[in-house]
Amino acid sequence: MTAAGSTEALGRRPVEWLRLACFAGSAVAALFLVSLVGLLLAQSLPIWREEGILGFLLGRRWFYRSGELGALAMIYGTAAVSAVALALAAPVGLGAAIFTAEVLPPRARLAVKTTVELLAGVPSVVYGLLGVLVLRDRVYRLLAPFEPLSGDTLLTGGLLLAVMVLPTVTTFSEDALRGVPGAHRRAARGLGLTRARTTFTVVLPRALPGIAAAHLLALGRALGETIAVFLVIGRRDNQLPESALSFDALARGGQTLTTKLGGAETFLAWGDPKHWAALMALALVLLALVVGVTLASAAVLAKGGGRAPVD
Amino acid sequence: MLRAGRLLLASALLAAGCGAGETGAARALRVSGSTTVNPVVARAAEILRAERGLAVVVDTQGGSAGGLAALAEGRVDAAMASRPLDERDRSRYPEADFRPVPIGADAVALAVSRDVWEGGVRALSRAEMRRIYEGRIASWHELGGPDRPVALFAKEPGRGTWEAFADWLYGGSAEAPLVAHLEVGSNEEARTKVASTPGGITQLSAAWVDGETLFALAVEGAAGGAPVAPTAAAIASGRYPMVRPLLLVTDGEPTPAARALLDLLLGPRGQELVRAAGYLPLAALGTPGPGGPGEPEAGAP
Repeated sequence: MTAAGSTEALGRRPVEWLRLACFAGSAVAALFLVSLVGLLLAQSLPIWREEGILGFLLGRRWFYRSGELGALAMIYGTAAVSAVALALAAPVGLGAAIFTAEVLPPRARLAVKTTVELLAGVPSVVYGLLGVLVLRDRVYRLLAPFEPLSGDTLLTGGLLLAVMVLPTVTTFSEDALRGVPGAHRRAARGLGLTRARTTFTVVLPRALPGIAAAHLLALGRALGETIAVFLVIGRRDNQLPESALSFDALARGGQTLTTKLGGAETFLAWGDPKHWAALMALALVLLALVVGVTLASAAVLAKGGGRAPVD
Repeated sequence: MLRAGRLLLASALLAAGCGAGETGAARALRVSGSTTVNPVVARAAEILRAERGLAVVVDTQGGSAGGLAALAEGRVDAAMASRPLDERDRSRYPEADFRPVPIGADAVALAVSRDVWEGGVRALSRAEMRRIYEGRIASWHELGGPDRPVALFAKEPGRGTWEAFADWLYGGSAEAPLVAHLEVGSNEEARTKVASTPGGITQLSAAWVDGETLFALAVEGAAGGAPVAPTAAAIASGRYPMVRPLLLVTDGEPTPAARALLDLLLGPRGQELVRAAGYLPLAALGTPGPGGPGEPEAGAP
């Protein structure tokens, strides 16, 4: 940046303002995230000191009145509803994406894509209310052999979440599929492969990083969803199954990280430093999970994008 | 220079816009708290809005406990509570000067779903309710009802309704044993979930029990003895044990707008609103009956 004549100086200034403003914007965003993590860490320090990281994360009982503050049941709840949601949304969403990207003509594709994206715009609380009005009864009847207490179960939460993350899976998977160059499809057709074979052996493998990223983003959304799950999950503490894969546990009410934080304990914890610290620790765990999944999704995309398009 | 000037002007306008909101028209009266008290205060707020142009905002985030928290933090001008204030509230918020004003009273009922009522369960003793609460009953059949598991929807701790229940059952919420139940928050949520769950039971404001999808059980009186159903007479005379005051709480002296709300609620129109919502107006509260050691001071100003 030599001290040039007046014309050069004038030409350089507008670009610097823009760059500065953009940098400021990113700095603010990054600063916000760092401060959030820092704040949660600082506020949750008492519980990490008292119980240790593993002690808190693997603690099986949460009874704040007696000072027992263990997060395992809530971590299990979060994992269970997210797993159910992804298990249901993945096949349906991927199937819809493949159909939309590979089979539908352009106008129909636009209509379907718009509809799916509208579904993503429905506010969570509407999903929650629909869950209470419609889903609870159906799940209660469906789970009759397991003798549930009510329709408020982990399964209900998982089903509701599946509908909520479906648009994410579909839209991003479809983008990934459309991102595979048409030349590959034409080459495959030229070699005599059928439509189906082309899709599954040529297009899908090349779209895999994008599809994986789509599922990770959907997982991120499922992990953080609060109000919809809050209304249908029962909010029952300390529900841990004997084995992690027991289906019976899905027919019982449960508690997730988000439903605990969205509940009344944040008011009751005021003035009790250990209880408050435990809640902040739950928030930190949740944040760490979501950030981890989001970073993984970005990494998968970056790695996939770096691969050469032609083998 | 021109570009920088535009940027500065835009920032200045933005800042001015933010500032104007504060010093503009008089701020709304904000009220928050119990879902039990809410129907009365919400209607009173409508009257104030219509007749005096007073902007009133009422919400029920967090119930009685949430309302007190918001009041102590200065986020609202008045809190609605459906339980008496005690030492724990004052020690949790030492800087707040809570001034509770009773505007009526309400009974907490044990509400059951239709199939339980029609299956024959009409009353519960303390011992039976303790067994339910502690998970020692597998089916309503043991209590003379249908053969269905007992689905207890416990109100969240901090809810006025739960506190009244715990006072009756264990003599105080701190004495209740540590058991995890399905939880519900607002009266609305409790009502919806129990009405739609066979074998359901919950603690619910007696005025919210409609007698069609939900039914109120008779419960053992405060000093033991025969179960008492939550009829208006039993509640007013104090024979029904789970009665709690409905309070409007301010932090220190009420603001002028809060004063207007209080005057409306304590006057004849406000008390009529209390009665219309199914609660007990202050005038109907007689002296507490002979049974009440754990009873809140109903009607005491």
